[in-house]
Amino acid sequence: MITLGTALAFAGAAVAAGFAGVGSAMGVGIAGQAGAGVVSEDPEKFGNVLVLQALPGTQGIYGLLIAFIIVLNLGVIDGSVKDLTTDQGIALFFAGLPMAIGGLMSGIYQGKVAASGIYLCAKRPEETGKGIILAAMVETYAVLSLLISFIMVNGVKL
Amino acid sequence: MLIAMKKATLFALKEDRDAILLALQKDGNIMLISEGEKTQTLEGADKVGDQLAKAKDALKFVDLHGKKDSMFAPRLPVSYDSFLRESKEGSDLADQVEELSGKIMSLRNEASTMTSQVDALQPWIDLDIPLEQLAPTDSSVYFAGYLPELEKEAFLEDIRELAAEPIVLREAPEGRAMLIFCMKEEAARLKHFLKAHDFTDVVFPKRTGLVSEIAVDLTEAARVKNLRADELEAQAKKIAESKAELQLYYDQLMAKEDRLANGGVETEKTFYLEGWVRKDRTVQVERAIRSATDAYQIEFRDPAEGEIPPTEMENNSFVSPYESVIELYSRPQAGSIDPDFLMAPFHFIFFGMMLSDAGYGLVLTIGLLIAMKLVKPQGFAGKLAMVIFFGSISTIIWGALFGGWFGLELHPLLFVPMKEPLKMLALCFGLGALHLVCGMLLKAYMLIRDGDVVGAFCDEFSWLIMFAGFLCMAFVPGPVGKYLAIAGAAIIVLTGGREKKGILGKLMGGLLSLYNISGYMSDLLSYSRLFALGLATGVIAMVINTIAQMLMEAGPVGTAVAVLVLLGGHVFNIVINVLGAFVHSSRLQYIEFFGKFYEAGGKAFVPLAIRTKYMNVTK
Repeated sequence: MITLGTALAFAGAAVAAGFAGVGSAMGVGIAGQAGAGVVSEDPEKFGNVLVLQALPGTQGIYGLLIAFIIVLNLGVIDGSVKDLTTDQGIALFFAGLPMAIGGLMSGIYQGKVAASGIYLCAKRPEETGKGIILAAMVETYAVLSLLISFIMVNGVKL
Repeated sequence: MLIAMKKATLFALKEDRDAILLALQKDGNIMLISEGEKTQTLEGADKVGDQLAKAKDALKFVDLHGKKDSMFAPRLPVSYDSFLRESKEGSDLADQVEELSGKIMSLRNEASTMTSQVDALQPWIDLDIPLEQLAPTDSSVYFAGYLPELEKEAFLEDIRELAAEPIVLREAPEGRAMLIFCMKEEAARLKHFLKAHDFTDVVFPKRTGLVSEIAVDLTEAARVKNLRADELEAQAKKIAESKAELQLYYDQLMAKEDRLANGGVETEKTFYLEGWVRKDRTVQVERAIRSATDAYQIEFRDPAEGEIPPTEMENNSFVSPYESVIELYSRPQAGSIDPDFLMAPFHFIFFGMMLSDAGYGLVLTIGLLIAMKLVKPQGFAGKLAMVIFFGSISTIIWGALFGGWFGLELHPLLFVPMKEPLKMLALCFGLGALHLVCGMLLKAYMLIRDGDVVGAFCDEFSWLIMFAGFLCMAFVPGPVGKYLAIAGAAIIVLTGGREKKGILGKLMGGLLSLYNISGYMSDLLSYSRLFALGLATGVIAMVINTIAQMLMEAGPVGTAVAVLVLLGGHVFNIVINVLGAFVHSSRLQYIEFFGKFYEAGGKAFVPLAIRTKYMNVTK
């Protein structure tokens, strides 16, 4: 038997990994489309383009990270799932939310900035570094989401 | 440290110009500048441009047909003397390649035109009248073309009353291929019907014989042309073997183009050049010119008012790689400050904290050592590689402090950040505060250097007093901290609006500048990324290990897969997190640190020198 609390904790892990993953998938997708166009003109820029495309990929990793810690704390990995009270479950669900929302939106927008950075790299390859920094500015907020989600998950004592 | 520049002005004879430019290029210490429109490019510069474009095309073509160079191939060495002799072989090769690629292209084009003609003839393949016989006679005319499939029935019905004979052939994308004969006197009426049913005319190729025969002939001809093109491509492969010669030629042309780009201002017999030289290299420049000619006059002077010299940084070998981090952003303006010496230690610390896995650090250190031995990256790439190399050493240190070894926890020397997040955050903010204070002190230094002591005290030290007060409030018992903080805030409010007019404006300005504290707060919070990125590396490594462990429980096959997962997973984690660590530790410099004092916008110092893409010229 799995308690409602445990199920809610699962939901927290699910939204964190799922939505942040969607954000990254969309971001990497947007950047990748722009990248393919640039590479078709100049295959030598593939290295620079790949770095820019990879940038929005981190949200998915952060989401997985939060989900993993929740699941680890629940005891899923070592095979004995703990029974959580409903309150504990709700707390863990909320703990997953910042990463879910922050990861989803920042992934998409970072992808857009990365795509623009790829165009920048097409026109002025020597300025690629600035394109990377501009895209990394967006990532700040995914990092902050990750941090608060982590602290919240850590705060729920099971 | 920023290097001071001198402006050089050189007068010499036109007949010596080539020799002088060559000597200056070999020396590589003067950056020629063009004085507006008076400066002219030298004779032959256009020609070199054309040759360069041709050599570039040739190299592209050769790359396409020959084998690819390995990414780690070292540059071929070539002596300076042989670099000076323009490669005749390379120039011939470029010509050959141009001719060859032209031929191949036109053969392929012709072949594809023929193939598309064959495709267009397909609907008419059943026509049993040779094309040359298809012509109007005394009494009849014909129409050939396509009729939309939907119109076919109605059209055939309509022309039944005419003295016309339709031959219906195969279907094509444009419609049904159709040939209609009719008596001359009926032609006008038939035309009317044709138009009403959207008939489109077709133009047959000017050829003789049955369509089916023509199609076979064309296919054969296309095949022959393609074969010929294949043969030529095989020849191209042979040429590709002497690619090095082409590369040498290309590099020689590049050097020549650089040399010819700036001829200065000239009279009938003499010319005059201007350029920037490092203060400590004037002797070398003069020596280089003297080696070319005796008839010259050169003068070095300090930059005049309004002249902005280019920016050149020089640092010791530990700090100089970090110049690449600055170059990624923007060079400091001439006359401001080169923050490398302060930025380097922080970049070093931050990079290591964000990766914070001693195992990864070891892998990176060894990997980079080997890679740098093999490739010997130069210039910007070399500096960047060194930054990451230093960073990986820092990673080993931080990894050992935090007890992270390939995602496993082993003897933390300090504490484990995941278990004590608050302690870790405090460490991040502490380092961040130190970083910010360094930035503010640099600004204060710059202000004092420029004579604005009041500004340094009111805008920088006032904040530092306030922050010191906050610090004391947290750690020192008693009211000292509170008074310090209030004193700092009072200075800010009282002096923040000193530029404004009127007592009210001054007061408002002072209060508003106190509001800047939110800016400092958000700067400080930004350093929490040090923890978050370290967390990301550690937990992902843990995830990889956990998956591998689960696989290993599934028997020998699982163990084999687990090894792959461990290898692939950790390599992926290293790559993605090195990227993250570099980008974010640079960002902390650019936004939080540079934001306090940096004056960007310096132009790079790019002296006339031998710059090659493929060769390594040994002097």
